[in-house]
Amino acid sequence: MISPEGSKSLPDRGSRFDESLFSLQAMPKIPRGMLKETQKAVALARKFNDEVVRPQALEIDRQTHADPEYLPWDLVKKANEWGFYTMFIPKLFGGQGFNMPASAYVVEELSSACVGIANVVFVHYLGVAGILASWNVSLANKIFREVVRGQKSGKPSIISLAITEPGAGTDVEENELIDRARLNCHAEKVKGGYIVNGSKIFISMGHVSEWCCLIAYRDLKKASENTVTFAVRTGTKGFTFGKHEDKMGQRACPASELIFEDCFIPDEYVLRDSSIREGFGTRPIADLIEQYIHFVVSVTRPAVGAFGTGVARGAYETALKFAGETEVGGKLLINHEWAQAMLAEMYKNVVIGRLSYTEANYANGLPGGIYNILQRKPVYYYQKYAPKFIFDYLISPLLDLEITQRIFRRLFVDSQSLEVQQRCSGWASLAKIVGTDMGVKNSQMAVELMGQAGLRHERGAEKFLRDSKLLQIYEGTNQLNRINLFNNLIGSSIPQARAFEE
Amino acid sequence: MLTTIKSELKPFEDLAHNFAVRELAANRKANDSYPFGPFFDPVVARAYEAGLLGITVPEECSGAGQGIGALCVILDRISAVDASLSGIIFTNALAQEIMLAAGGKDTLKGIMEKATDTRSTLIAYPAFSNPGETQTGLDAVRAGGTFRLSGTIEYVVLGGMAGHALVPARIKGQDGRQDGYTFFLVDQGGKGITKTEPIFSLGLHACPAVDLTLAGVEGIPVGKEGDGARCFDHASDRMHAAVAAIQCGIMKGAFQEALSYSQERFQGGREIINWSALRMLLGDMAVQAGIADIVVSGAAMAVDQQDPQWGLSARAAALHLSELACKLTTDGIQILGGNGYMKDYGQEKRFRDAKQVQALLGLFPLRKLGLVSAMAKGQ
Ligand SMILES: Cc1cc2nc3c(=O)[nH]c(=O)nc-3n(C[C@H](O)[C@H](O)[C@H](O)COP(=O)(O)OP(=O)(O)OC[C@H]3O[C@@H](n4cnc5c(N)ncnc54)[C@H](O)[C@@H]3O)c2cc1C
Repeated sequence: MISPEGSKSLPDRGSRFDESLFSLQAMPKIPRGMLKETQKAVALARKFNDEVVRPQALEIDRQTHADPEYLPWDLVKKANEWGFYTMFIPKLFGGQGFNMPASAYVVEELSSACVGIANVVFVHYLGVAGILASWNVSLANKIFREVVRGQKSGKPSIISLAITEPGAGTDVEENELIDRARLNCHAEKVKGGYIVNGSKIFISMGHVSEWCCLIAYRDLKKASENTVTFAVRTGTKGFTFGKHEDKMGQRACPASELIFEDCFIPDEYVLRDSSIREGFGTRPIADLIEQYIHFVVSVTRPAVGAFGTGVARGAYETALKFAGETEVGGKLLINHEWAQAMLAEMYKNVVIGRLSYTEANYANGLPGGIYNILQRKPVYYYQKYAPKFIFDYLISPLLDLEITQRIFRRLFVDSQSLEVQQRCSGWASLAKIVGTDMGVKNSQMAVELMGQAGLRHERGAEKFLRDSKLLQIYEGTNQLNRINLFNNLIGSSIPQARAFEE
Repeated sequence: MLTTIKSELKPFEDLAHNFAVRELAANRKANDSYPFGPFFDPVVARAYEAGLLGITVPEECSGAGQGIGALCVILDRISAVDASLSGIIFTNALAQEIMLAAGGKDTLKGIMEKATDTRSTLIAYPAFSNPGETQTGLDAVRAGGTFRLSGTIEYVVLGGMAGHALVPARIKGQDGRQDGYTFFLVDQGGKGITKTEPIFSLGLHACPAVDLTLAGVEGIPVGKEGDGARCFDHASDRMHAAVAAIQCGIMKGAFQEALSYSQERFQGGREIINWSALRMLLGDMAVQAGIADIVVSGAAMAVDQQDPQWGLSARAAALHLSELACKLTTDGIQILGGNGYMKDYGQEKRFRDAKQVQALLGLFPLRKLGLVSAMAKGQ
C-alpha cells in the first residue's frame, strides 16, 4: 500500500523533466564532425535508395509472393559492396567507424523507401550490438574483421541475432520473466566447449547470415542466471535452418527457424557465459544479464523507432505525391482542406518519430551510455583521423589481452549506473513505441487518402502498411515496451511498484 | 443479433456459417495466394449453387428475393472466415442493386436466366470507387440504337472473369449534362475488351480485379441517360449496410482467434489472457465486436424497413465499423505476437482485408464528408 501522503508525492519522485533534456545536455560536448559525417552517411543511403532500393523494392516484394522461399542474396551482396555492413563498425575493429547514432538516420532514410530492404541492411547491426555488448572484444574483433574482409572480397559475412524461441518471445526479452519461460535452447558445458540443443524462431536474416549471435541457457529453469551467448558460424555441424516464415510484409528480409542438434560450440566462440564472473565487478549475475539485454535494446529499439519513422515518412511522401497529381471532385486533392489536414498530421507524425529516436540516442550518448566514449572529442577525433594501420597492427593485437577485456568491461559495464541503464532502456522503449505507432498510423492514412489507388501493389502505399505492422511486434511487442518504459522511467523511483507481478 | 430479432433470417445465417466452415476455412491460406496461386473457382461455383450470389435479386429474376438483412447475415458469417468470397458476393450484389435502382430488372433477369455457369451469372463492377468523385475514364458514343464505349476503367472487380461488366461512362455530345454519367452493361466476352493481369492488392486477394480497356465495345445503357449518380447513390446507401456486415464478420473472426490464442499461449508462466494489459486489449476488441453486431443489425433493419434517413444510418454504420475493424484487426495481430504476422494464422489477412473493405464504395474521407452534406441538405 502506498499511503495517501506517499501517493501524493509520486509524480515528484521521478527525475524532473528538465533532467531529461538529453539533447541539451549532450549538444555542447558533441564533436562538430559528427554532423558532416551523419550527412555523408544519409547521402549514401539516399543514393542507395535511388540506385538500388527504389528500382526493385516492389518487384522483389512481388517476387517473394510468387516464390515464398526467395532469399535476398543479391541485396546482401549490393549492401556489402556499398559498405553498409562495415559502416558503423568502429575503426578499432577494422570498420569504417561512422558515429553510431548516425545509423538511426540512415535507417530512417532506407526505410522511407523499403523497410524490408532496410532490415536486410540493418538486422546485421542487431547482431553487431549483441556481440559488442558482451564486451568480449577479442572475439568481437575477430568477427567484425571478418565482416570487413567480406566486404573487400565481395563475399558478405553478416551477423544475425537469435534469442526468440517457439515457446518464449516476450519472456526472453525480460530477465524478470525468463525463469517462468518455456525455454528449449539448452547449452551444456562439456570439455572444450558447449553442446547446444534446441531451436530459435523468427530470426531475421538467419538463412543469409554467416554468423549468428546465439543466446542459449545452461539451465532452462533458471535462465536468469545461466545465460550463454555464442557466436556460431553458419554451417557448424549440428546447426541447420528450418522453416522460412511466410510473412505479411517486409518480405525481402527472411525470418528463419534455427535448429541446433548436438551442436558443439568450442569455448573460443563463447561471447559470454554469465556464470563466469571475472572482470564483471560485483553486480549479481542476474543484474549483469539484465544489463546485457538493456545494452542491446538501448541501441536496437531506437533503431526500430527509426524504421517506423522511415515508414511513416515513406507513406507520407507517397500520399503527398498522390495528392499533388490526383483530381477529386474536379479539384486537386492537395487543395482539399481535409486532405491538407491529413497531410499535416502525417508530417507531424514523422517529426515526432524522429525526435523520439534522436532523443533516445542522445541518452545513449551521455556518460554511462553505450555511445558516450566514442563520442568524447579526443576519442572521436583519434578514431576518425588516426591512420588505419595503427588500429590494424598496433591496437588490434591488444584486444586479445585479458587486461584489455577488463578495461572494456570496467569502462562499459562497471561504470554504467543503474539509473543510466534505466534511462537508456526506458527511452529506447519510448522511441520504439512512438516511431512504430507512427509508421502504422501514417501507412493507414496513406491508404485511406489514396482510396483504390492505395490498394494497388504498384503504388506502394499498401506495402508500407503491410511492412509497418511488424515493427510493433519485434524488438519486444509495443505492450512489453510500455511495461519496460513503466519499469525504467516511472516505477524505478517508486519502491512499491512491481512489474510482472500482478 | 439480427437473426434473434428476425428469426426468418436464421436459415441464411446457418447456410453461410456452414458454407464458410466447410468450404473456406481449410484452404484460406491457399486461396489467398491468388494471383500467384489458382483461383478458387470450385468454391465460387458452390457459392452460386447455394444461392449466395443472388440474395437481394427479386424472385422473378431468379434471385432469392431477400432484403439487405439476409445479405448482411451471410456476409457477416462468411467474412468471419474469409472475406474474399464476401468481396465477390458484395460486388455482384452491388452491380445487381445498381441495375435494379436503374430500372434494369429485365436486363438482370436476362442475365440470371441465360447464365450457363457461375462466371456467366456474375457481373463485374468497379466497387472501390464512386464514379461521381473520380471521373470515369470511359466515353460512350451513340451508334445507331446502341452505344460504343471506349477508354480505360480501373479496378473492375471480377473484371475479365464475370460474364458481364457494369461500367459508368459519360455520353459524348450530351449538352448541358457534363456532370452526368450513365451505367452500361458490357458483355465481357465481346470484342475490343482488353484486360490487365489481375491487380495485386492489399487484401481480398481471392476477389480479383483488373483494369479494363475498351475500344468501341458495345454497351447497353442501364437506366436513363445521365442518371448514373442517382442509381449509384441509392444502391450505395443500401450496400453500405453490407460493408458494415463484412467488417463485422472480420472483427468477430479476429476477436475469436485472439481469444482462443490468448487462452493457449503461455508467457510469463501463465496463459497470456491472464496478463491484465493483454486482457484489456481483448476487452477493447470484445466491446468493438459487440458494438459491431448491434450496428449491423440496426443498419440492416433501417434499410429493410425504409426508416426515415435509412441511407444515413447505413453509411454511418459502414464508416464507423470500417474504422473499428481496422483498429481491431491491428490488435488482433498484436495479441498473437510474431505468429499474428504470419500467413499460417488468420489475423494478418483480416488486417489487410479490413483496410481493403474500408475503401469499398469510394474514398473513405469523402464518404464521411458526403454524410454530412446529405444531413445538411436534410436528406
Ligand atoms: C518477422 C519477425 C522477425 C523477428 N526477428 C527476430 C530476430 O532477428 N531475432 C530474435 O531473436 N527475434 C526476432 N523476432 C521475435 C520477436 O522479437 C518476437 O516475436 C516478439 O518479442 C514477441 O514474441 P512472441 O512472438 O513470442 O509473442 P508472445 O510473447 O507470445 O506475445 C503474445 C502476446 O502476448 C503479450 N504478452 C506476452 N507477455 C505479456 C506480459 N507479461 N504482459 C502483457 N502482455 C504480454 C504480447 O505483448 C503479445 O501481445 C522476430 C519476430 C518476427 C515476427
